[in-house]
Amino acid sequence: MASLTLDALTKRYGDNVVVKSVSLAVRDGEFLVLLGPSGCGKTTTLRMIAGFVPPSGGSMRIGDKDITTLPPWKRNAGLVFQSYALFPHMTVNENVGFGLDMRKVDRAETTARVAEALRLVRLEGFGERYPRQLSGGQQQRVALARALVIRPDVLLLDEPLSNLDAKLRLEVRLEIRALQQQLGLTTVMVTHDQEEALTMADRLVVMSDGAVRQVGTQSDLYERPADLFVADFVGRSTMISGTVAGAGAFRSDGGLMLSCQLSSAEGAATIALRPERLTLGAAAQGLANHATGKVTFVSYLGALLDVHVRLNDTDHVVVQIPNRSDGHVPAVGDMIEVGWPASACLVFPREVA
Amino acid sequence: MAAVSTRPVGEPGNLTAAGLLVPATIFVAIGLMVPIAILFRYSLNAFVPGQLMVDALTVANYVKFFTDPFYLQVLWRTVRVAVACTVFCLLFGFPLAYVLARTQSRYKNLLVMAIILPLFVGNAVRAAGWMVAFGSKGFVNSTLMSMGLISQPLEIMYTELAVVIGIIAVNLPFMVLTLQSVIEGIDRNVEEAAFSLGASPLTMARRVLFPLALPGILAGVILTFILAMNAYATPVLLGGPKFQTMGPLVFSTFAQQNNWPFGGAVSFILMTATLILTIASSLLIRRRYA
Repeated sequence: MASLTLDALTKRYGDNVVVKSVSLAVRDGEFLVLLGPSGCGKTTTLRMIAGFVPPSGGSMRIGDKDITTLPPWKRNAGLVFQSYALFPHMTVNENVGFGLDMRKVDRAETTARVAEALRLVRLEGFGERYPRQLSGGQQQRVALARALVIRPDVLLLDEPLSNLDAKLRLEVRLEIRALQQQLGLTTVMVTHDQEEALTMADRLVVMSDGAVRQVGTQSDLYERPADLFVADFVGRSTMISGTVAGAGAFRSDGGLMLSCQLSSAEGAATIALRPERLTLGAAAQGLANHATGKVTFVSYLGALLDVHVRLNDTDHVVVQIPNRSDGHVPAVGDMIEVGWPASACLVFPREVA
Repeated sequence: MAAVSTRPVGEPGNLTAAGLLVPATIFVAIGLMVPIAILFRYSLNAFVPGQLMVDALTVANYVKFFTDPFYLQVLWRTVRVAVACTVFCLLFGFPLAYVLARTQSRYKNLLVMAIILPLFVGNAVRAAGWMVAFGSKGFVNSTLMSMGLISQPLEIMYTELAVVIGIIAVNLPFMVLTLQSVIEGIDRNVEEAAFSLGASPLTMARRVLFPLALPGILAGVILTFILAMNAYATPVLLGGPKFQTMGPLVFSTFAQQNNWPFGGAVSFILMTATLILTIASSLLIRRRYA
């Protein structure tokens, strides 16, 4: 295992820049997730690390070794694909042993290491089967064993869970995370699924349009998003647009005067509100911001309720409250008090789309 | 409750399936099986000059073929040419098919058209073109001579080399198209997985690509080998009258010598040789990569 450093990594196709000067430092044993909508450059970045896409600029290092121009077969990076990419003409043992074969590891050691890798992914006794005789989850675990058995310097995961069904996904993601921690693997995963990213990562990298928007831990991204894109992409936010009306003051387009966190934004701006930070009913009145609105929609999520409240012609918020059978459940059409503290209002300069 | 068919909508029932098979079956039976059966019967007849074919039940025609060095020479030459053509089609065709299957170029359809285009020109027309190009006063020789690279015209026409080149040119598109469709079905990620595990491109090809492309390699080899064994226009036009192969021999035995029994025997020997060698090559390739 080793650290992985990307320095101003860039990929251009003609005039189209798909990865814009990405610099990242993945620490030894760290699980880093590249998160972003499709087309944000996260997969291209991963493919550059793997060696399948030559960078147009910048450099990459594993530990102290420069790998920028090294072909994929000399990088010692374990790779797991969304499509599993097992060799269909080889048994599970042959699949897992392939990398060791390439490294000229002798037969006895290969057998032992393959068995050990299959034990790690809980597939002992499956060695003689062919990939087509396994379920999707089992195939993905074979792919993981195949990548781990070579003792890679870095483990690269390209949307490894996207082809699995929802229940299995939860299982496999905990399994991958546990293995990663147990073996201390330096890991980079690409995903567009933020829940997956939040549960698995040590740190996350939010990308859009080929650029890094923010690097940080889960709480960094959720509680202190760097910009409106991150606030919107990670978790859920209600947006209220308006203008900054002084230090900690904001006037919404609908005419509400709101207290908010101090920010450097001036002029046209947008407030992002996390739905769970809002309060309904009598408790709302003691908070810095409160207003009366009309319930337009209630969505029942089981443990939680999403209540959509229209405050005026332009402003509208979503409030998430716990679903307690003894409490009052708002109904569509009710007039209701909504409140939230100033600290819940994150102010961002309006982005030019 | 009304009886409900357990068969999914759109899946043909037994009767429908039979109905779909009938036209092709009848065509093959009448157009191929019957003539072949008759031909086989003819090959056991005797040939008497003046009387042509005489009813008999003899293997004399087969004995004649296998005891006459001339005919054995023709068979051996045919096999040699066909094997050479097939091997070169595979060697030239695989890289081409691979590039074609993996290209992201928006001109891919044009490339495929360029591969198919030669098939629009009949064998005879194409062979005539080669004659013009490779004759002693042809394009190739006159160019080389005017450049001072050679003093005497190269003898390309009417050689085995000319026939092999000609047949490769005819058969290559079949090989390429067969391989291309199979390679396209191989997940690109599988190749990348091999690279990431430490396989160089050559090792990846040997251990992953070829075994997975095996069905295509087999189909391509069988197709081009059968076409090469049975080639007619190319050996006649590029090989000249002295360069006898089995296809032209069948025709001349029937049409010029009017020896139907012997023609039938030659046809059957050609068919059997093709079949045996095809099966042998399939087994060989299978054992090599499976």
